Amino acid sequence: MQTTKAKSELNLFDRVLDLLSLKPLGAIGLVILVILPLVPPFNQEYLIRWLCAAALIAAASVSFDFTAGFINIVNFGYYAIVGLGGYTSAILVDRFGISPWIGIFVGALSAGLLGFFLGIVTLRLRGIFAAVMAWFMGLALMGLATKAVWLTRGSLGLRVERLFDSPSNLPYYYVILAMMLVTYVITKGVTRSDMGLAFKAIGQNMDAARTSGINPVYYRIVNFTLSCTLAGLLGGFYAHYYGILTPEMMHTSKTVEVLAVAYIGGRGSLWGGAVVAFPFIYAMEMVRSSLSNLPGLNLILYGLLLILVMIYYSGGFAAFFQQHFSKPKNIILYYLVNGKKTA
Amino acid sequence: MKILETQELSKQFGGLIAVNKVSMHVKEGDIVGLIGPNGAGKTTFLNAVAGLNPPTGGRVLFLGEDTTGFTPEKMCHRGLSRSFQIPRPYPKMTALETVLTSAIFGNRLRKVKDPVAHSRKMLSFVEFPMAEETITESLNTLQLKRLDLARALASNPRLLFLDELAAGLTEGELGDIMTLIRKIRDQGITILMVEHIMQLIMSVCERLVCIQFGNKIAEGPTEEVARDPTVTEAYLGRQKKKECSPDTHAGAQVG
Ligand SMILES: Nc1ncnc2c1ncn2[C@@H]1O[C@H](COP(=O)(O)OP(=O)(O)OP(=O)(O)O)[C@@H](O)[C@H]1O
Ligand SMILES: [Mg+2]
Repeated sequence: MQTTKAKSELNLFDRVLDLLSLKPLGAIGLVILVILPLVPPFNQEYLIRWLCAAALIAAASVSFDFTAGFINIVNFGYYAIVGLGGYTSAILVDRFGISPWIGIFVGALSAGLLGFFLGIVTLRLRGIFAAVMAWFMGLALMGLATKAVWLTRGSLGLRVERLFDSPSNLPYYYVILAMMLVTYVITKGVTRSDMGLAFKAIGQNMDAARTSGINPVYYRIVNFTLSCTLAGLLGGFYAHYYGILTPEMMHTSKTVEVLAVAYIGGRGSLWGGAVVAFPFIYAMEMVRSSLSNLPGLNLILYGLLLILVMIYYSGGFAAFFQQHFSKPKNIILYYLVNGKKTA
Repeated sequence: MKILETQELSKQFGGLIAVNKVSMHVKEGDIVGLIGPNGAGKTTFLNAVAGLNPPTGGRVLFLGEDTTGFTPEKMCHRGLSRSFQIPRPYPKMTALETVLTSAIFGNRLRKVKDPVAHSRKMLSFVEFPMAEETITESLNTLQLKRLDLARALASNPRLLFLDELAAGLTEGELGDIMTLIRKIRDQGITILMVEHIMQLIMSVCERLVCIQFGNKIAEGPTEEVARDPTVTEAYLGRQKKKECSPDTHAGAQVG
């Protein structure tokens, strides 16, 4: 009662922000991301390409964190599910000539269906065993993509119709940015509801959660299904952006990259990974382009950073921010960081 | 009315029979003590009834319904709650959130209108000494026990299991806990409590059930069971048994 009353007193801008689970600072960040590829030096095509890669990893880390940071299961098969969404869409578009937009949608649904089954298969398994199960499933999917040459052209790579005719990266960037926002708004909205509490409870203590009346079966399946659907959506973008799919894109190392970004950003925060993804992918791309003859270097860097974060700041960037910047004295700054109080 | 009844309830872990054909009952409104030496199978018995570790034999009747092998969440919705011997909180949640889980999800069949207010009420009912925003990771064992009790109460149970709630308390705190347990019962909640502290058992329990090596060895009014030679023997162990044996025999002959 009180909260609804308080909400109706907010102005339209704050209401919209609340609906999107964004703080004013987050909204400003988004506006910057929208403008960034229009201003020099960021308006060069190869830099917009980096921005696309960053937004993709950012979105992936949000939906990855929705599972890892809440129900505490690390989905090591995450990028294989991204691949499933991509391949499904690419093959449908190629064979049946449907629009890539519909292909992406169907690809997301197929990934969601797999997530649903993954949720069921791993039901009786706790933490690490569920993670291993998801990992094996990912490896199996990658094996399938390699061996089913008649369908996927295996490691030769599958050519995929691109979303737009123009060679410019800019429209793609706005598509993936929108997908990132959608991913965030959906996952954050769900975790702000009672369901988020149930996710956290089964993730942090299964026995206490069950004796408190929480049915882990239901919540785990819902979580997996949603997280994988979003992964499939991103896979569709990947396919129709890069224009080529190879089984290597489903490799575990891609999942590890997402995991690193999500954990460095802050487990269970959802937004942390999305924020750190941009500077990170930029830095990594820079390292990659200047030291192109050292494959796997970015993974080593990720590993080192991850270890440092786990040792010194296990809550990641989000916890660091929360601790040092969430209560500024200045009223305007306070508003930017915390938004209008709704309760 | 019998709120809980077990019929030859058994729980076997591989070759180990932790609970062996225990039949007992709890009447509505009672405070019943479940006693027995360490490793007797008390916690295992509670888990078998509450569904955390389903029984391997026998039956459980809760509120007249056969609930054998029900999941813990189903038992919670039926009105059975429990606190843990080693309190198991959600490490990253606040105290309030911890209680909220149970207030929201434990009341599926009899919704509470304002779960937050209800949770706050539970925290003050158990006299939780810390701020509600405290992260549970940073609480000590005694604070955790109170928090766990608030969580267990938030689902508005008909029957509450307490597993060694008073373990590790000082003399003074013991008095508080006694009052608290009576206060819970006065809310209309039946209590089955596992306890080692005799002083507490003698003062709050109306009936006792004693188990040893998974077998029920005594059941009845507190005074009677406490005086039962088999019970004292179980607690005092073998060495004492030899010393006491003439007395016990004498007692048996008289009785
Ligand atoms: N999950 C399990 N797997 C195998 N054995 C178990 C398991 N849980 C308990 N046991 C065994 O069952 C027996 C009974 O244990 P239980 O914890 O029920 O005793 P208790 O009466 O609660 O003891 P305490 O007073 O120390 O809490 C013990 O021998 C214990 O080792
Ligand atoms: Mg025990």
